[in-house]
Amino acid sequence: MGIQRQCDGTRRRDFLKMGALGVGGLSLGQFLQLSQAGEIRAGAKAKSAIFINLPGGQTHIDTFDLKPDAPTEYRGEFNPISTNVAGIQICEHLPKLAGVMDQFVILRGVSHTLAAHQLGAEYVNTGNRPLPSLEFPSYGAVVTKEMPGEPDLPPFVSIPTTQQRPGYLGVQYAPLHTGSTPRAGQPYSVRGLALRSGLTVSDVERRTNLRKELDRTFAGLERDSTLLEGMDQFSRQAFDMISSPRSRRAFDVSQESPAFSQMFGDSPFGQSCLLATRLVESGVRFVSISTGGWDTHQNNWENLKTRLLPPFDQSLAALLEGLKQKGLLEETLVFVTGEFGRTPKINQERVGRDHYPRCMCMLMAGGGIQGGRVIGASDDKALAPLEKAMSPDDVAASFYHAMGIDHQKEYHTSTGRPVMIVRAGDVIPELFS
Amino acid sequence: MQQQGSTLAVLLAVQLAWVSVSKGETQPRIDVRYAGQNEETPDFQRHVIPMLSKLGCNGRSCHGSFQGRGGFMLSLFGYDFKADHKGLMERLDLETPSDSYALQKATREIDHEGGQRIAPQSWEYRVILNWIASGAKGVESEGRLKQLEISPAEIQFRDASETAQLRVVAHWEDGSSEDVTPLCRFLSNDASIAEIDDSGLVTAGATGDTHVVVFYDNGTVPVPVLRPVSDQTGERYPSVPAPTRVDQLVVEKLKKLGIVQSETCGDTEFLRRVSLDIAGTLPTSAEIRAFVADNSPDKRSRKIDELLETPAYSAWWATRLSDYTGNTANQLNNVSFNNNQPSQEWYEWLRKRVRENVPYDRIVEGIVLAGSQREGETYQEYCVRMGEYFKDGSGEKFAEQESLPYYWARRNFQRPEDRAIGFAYTFLAIRIECAQCHKHPFDRWTQEDFKEFQPLFSTTRFNPNGTNRREYEELLATLEVDQALRGNQLRQALGRLLQKGEVVPFPALVQTSTSGPRRERGERSRQVTARMLGGDPFDMTQYPDPRKPLMDWMTGEVRDLFAKAFVNRVWSNYFHRGIVEPTDDLSLANPPTNQALLDHLAQGFIAQGYDMKWLHREICNSRTYQLSWQPTESNRLDERNFSRAVPRRIQAEVAYDALVQATAGMSQNAGYLTNLKQRATAIPGSAQGRGGNNYALTIFGKSARENNCDCERSNEPTLLQTLFLYNDNDVLTALDSRGGWLAEVAREWNQPLLSNPNEPTIRKPENYDEIVARYRSQIERAKNQSNPERLQQMKARLKAFLEQYGETDKAEARGKATASGVSEEARRIAVREAYLRTLSRLPSAEEEQTALQAMSATETPVEGLRDVLWALLNTKEFILNH
Repeated sequence: MGIQRQCDGTRRRDFLKMGALGVGGLSLGQFLQLSQAGEIRAGAKAKSAIFINLPGGQTHIDTFDLKPDAPTEYRGEFNPISTNVAGIQICEHLPKLAGVMDQFVILRGVSHTLAAHQLGAEYVNTGNRPLPSLEFPSYGAVVTKEMPGEPDLPPFVSIPTTQQRPGYLGVQYAPLHTGSTPRAGQPYSVRGLALRSGLTVSDVERRTNLRKELDRTFAGLERDSTLLEGMDQFSRQAFDMISSPRSRRAFDVSQESPAFSQMFGDSPFGQSCLLATRLVESGVRFVSISTGGWDTHQNNWENLKTRLLPPFDQSLAALLEGLKQKGLLEETLVFVTGEFGRTPKINQERVGRDHYPRCMCMLMAGGGIQGGRVIGASDDKALAPLEKAMSPDDVAASFYHAMGIDHQKEYHTSTGRPVMIVRAGDVIPELFS
Repeated sequence: MQQQGSTLAVLLAVQLAWVSVSKGETQPRIDVRYAGQNEETPDFQRHVIPMLSKLGCNGRSCHGSFQGRGGFMLSLFGYDFKADHKGLMERLDLETPSDSYALQKATREIDHEGGQRIAPQSWEYRVILNWIASGAKGVESEGRLKQLEISPAEIQFRDASETAQLRVVAHWEDGSSEDVTPLCRFLSNDASIAEIDDSGLVTAGATGDTHVVVFYDNGTVPVPVLRPVSDQTGERYPSVPAPTRVDQLVVEKLKKLGIVQSETCGDTEFLRRVSLDIAGTLPTSAEIRAFVADNSPDKRSRKIDELLETPAYSAWWATRLSDYTGNTANQLNNVSFNNNQPSQEWYEWLRKRVRENVPYDRIVEGIVLAGSQREGETYQEYCVRMGEYFKDGSGEKFAEQESLPYYWARRNFQRPEDRAIGFAYTFLAIRIECAQCHKHPFDRWTQEDFKEFQPLFSTTRFNPNGTNRREYEELLATLEVDQALRGNQLRQALGRLLQKGEVVPFPALVQTSTSGPRRERGERSRQVTARMLGGDPFDMTQYPDPRKPLMDWMTGEVRDLFAKAFVNRVWSNYFHRGIVEPTDDLSLANPPTNQALLDHLAQGFIAQGYDMKWLHREICNSRTYQLSWQPTESNRLDERNFSRAVPRRIQAEVAYDALVQATAGMSQNAGYLTNLKQRATAIPGSAQGRGGNNYALTIFGKSARENNCDCERSNEPTLLQTLFLYNDNDVLTALDSRGGWLAEVAREWNQPLLSNPNEPTIRKPENYDEIVARYRSQIERAKNQSNPERLQQMKARLKAFLEQYGETDKAEARGKATASGVSEEARRIAVREAYLRTLSRLPSAEEEQTALQAMSATETPVEGLRDVLWALLNTKEFILNH
């Protein structure tokens, strides 16, 4: 109930806006195109985005916000090293990233208050503080709604899965999960995309046409049902994807030159980054990569230096370098975050650090954002933001700003409730200066 | 304070007759009482904390944050009176109350990050001032809120922008009462239908129904708000049949809303829906034909009874109960000597009880009060018995035992707090995890409630060393196993001995004494007082096993909630949603869309002795369940009130089974209700990880059963599901399987199954045709000589020769029929069968024509039929239940 829809499925609100566009008027087709494409801010450089999620919550004080002078119960055992940008230091176990510091920005002292994994993850994946009554759409869902992308490619791919859900935007904005990560040098395809031997595109086309003719039972009800509408859209997309050789090639990392692939290493995260560059290059709008294990309540330093940081360092540095080599970094926004930081005060009993949302780090690169900078700061023990805190909402507003999407744009939930893309955030001006 | 804005409001709500609770008058509103100076002493619990709460002071972004703000911390959403009082006291000046730091901050005499919350000389200001002046007393003995009385109790709007003012009266157990409207928090569950402001003024929005929720102290009361969708309300509502109590209650609500129900659905629609819902199985073509031909008036209810007796029904409900109880091998390591075994046993234990229709409360009792070693049984005997179960492998022997201990053995169910949360989720469908850290924002539970509930779970332990350390070690010593082995290695070694038929020591569920001697060993002293949620404190030591009073409490004091939790989940199996949605959030602020309906089902379920089949019948025999999906003008947007069948994607396991069943050969297809082999609904665990059809089940949203959430099962469609149905190898292989229906039809038509088989990799010899001809003449000769043995032999050789080069014996087929030789009638029969086995109905004339045309357009009719079957599997009608 409460859905305010016109007979063609567009919402009343949009019509009012179109009316305001004026006298000459747009044809309905033009209008639909416009409404589908959203209102793209002119001048934004980012055309696609790679979102790297670090479930578990990466420690901030041992990676990008070291406090070598803090008392021992805070400090941790790692030392800072210099980067290729004078005055910026990061952890000694991130040497490759130190070498490309000029490509990315560290946001220090990002702060929120949700110390549980799921809630924190919902927060950083949507840019909105979770509400029990409403599920917000994730970044990937919003971006692919506003910037639909190529019809024969999935607009939103997650490697191998993601916590990003479409929320109230509905299932048609859900990601395609690859379900696995590629293995170095081996051909890679996603189930259901590759054509089986003996089957030709014209076979698929013939069947698809027949399906369209036979799938008429619910005709006319789609406009009242996001379920039916979404399923129709999936059908169109599935056909486009199967029939296009481009989409199959996009997933096949073995087609990259060995020199280029080697940079990424053999780790699952490295191969995921390699796949992400290929996908973005092919025109996929939004790629999310999830690489977990950061919930280091125990043996924090041992885990970081042996298991977690080396592949993270190599792969992320390779991603930035790879995008740059392909000339894609300027138009690809890269965003790295966990759901929270970790307690600066060491948990001596378990040699670890626990959940700590009050102070954390996030990384941003590409998409027109000038690298080689640190924005924000934390206090001398990395306990809290030094001055004004940046919230996940502010970071989200900035993310959308870089993508040319108005973060204050209002959507309507399926019950018609108006909700802004980011409800409570402001663009961080320093990011764009 | 704020007066009601609109005089145009048309309030249809029934004003409750004013019932004065007992002594004295109801105190008027606090903002009126404090409009000027007065001498009253405000109460910390009743006035100060609710007021601070309303002002936002203890919100998550302010002092309610877990870190506090500016060094000052209040309990989130209030209700930790001691801590809040202490925090405030440090910021008060009892000598000169107006100089109090807290007050100066709030009025922003001193800079306050949260801005000015209280205007000087406002009523709020005077409340605080009087409270400080009177000594700023905290809470000596907590008052108990008896009832929050709200008027109007229900709001019916007619037009948008109408308004209605709520009035809230708190009744306390001491007999006093007060108008607390200005002290309440208000929330709308759907702001597009009704908005509510801070003063309790409700404004109508779009048509439909929702609730506004009132919060005060630990009271949470939802108030229904509705605005009719059409003018067909009350008397003007068309006369519709309402044969059952369920129907009457549903229609009662629809009459208020002016939502006209859809028609009753047709027979084929009903049969498909009820077969998928009760038994997770598509009806066969024979079944559909027989059902349609049956003219008896009770055929639908007989069909329901019939389905409830099938093995497929018990498999499906064992699956659902496995969801709620969290049956997954991933959480059951170290429980047996093979992770999948306990999961299998768990499933079988449930399935047997569903099959025998054991009352729901008894099933729950078998889980809640589970034990390993039986009374009078030694540890050795227990291990012998467990070894036999293990050898059985099927879980069927295990299912014979009275209890299911594995619920307690799960890795994510070990700490008392995790157990409290998981237990409340499974059996009461409530989310008490919020109360672990603060007052539940949408329910009555306080942190105290949580803390005192959790000790009930602290005395039950799943012990890897059995019930008795000494006996365990004695048994271990008798075995030829490296006694130094530990953990996983020991488990593997014991597993090998078990295979050889030795008796090995099994882990076991043990009950440690509530008062026991553990304290002496330096363990933390155990909390001995406990309290059921919302109950009175009691001494746990009076019970040898505190799970007993826990179970009694569930089927006693809170049996309504216990019954509702299950009844609502069962309802959601038959509709696109529960009467309460989400189905695992039966909180006060998330009321049912139809209270009377939920009450009726829960009461009936209890009265029928928790008879699950009664419940299934009660729902399925209602006209409400049997409504068509075709909407009416007024119900096309209704997804809350069960005015039509809302299409929903069939559940993961059922979808996978339906796919296989629809493509299977005739005999396999017909056996789906009774033969559980290969069925996805018969997979015991969560099937995440190893195994064949896991990919499909995962993408179609089978529950992982790890997180205490009904949302772990998803029936949202996704692009990946569409890609799967379109083009996944699993689906394409099923279509062309040798044992499949298409292959059967091809044989019947004497047609090759594949018209363009894979290119032969072996080059045919020069004399290929010659050899084939030679075989044929020998076959002819054998025929003429009436030598069946020789005939068979030659035929087989020819076939083998042909297959070597990727050919099939087309010639043989050609002998009887050519590609075009399949009669129109045969094709028609096949198309109809394809429709029946996928969409469970016959094609319309137009659809049949389209399908026949498609078949004549392809090279061979089998190819065309494959296209038709594929297309049908990819219609929305196939993958949706409607």
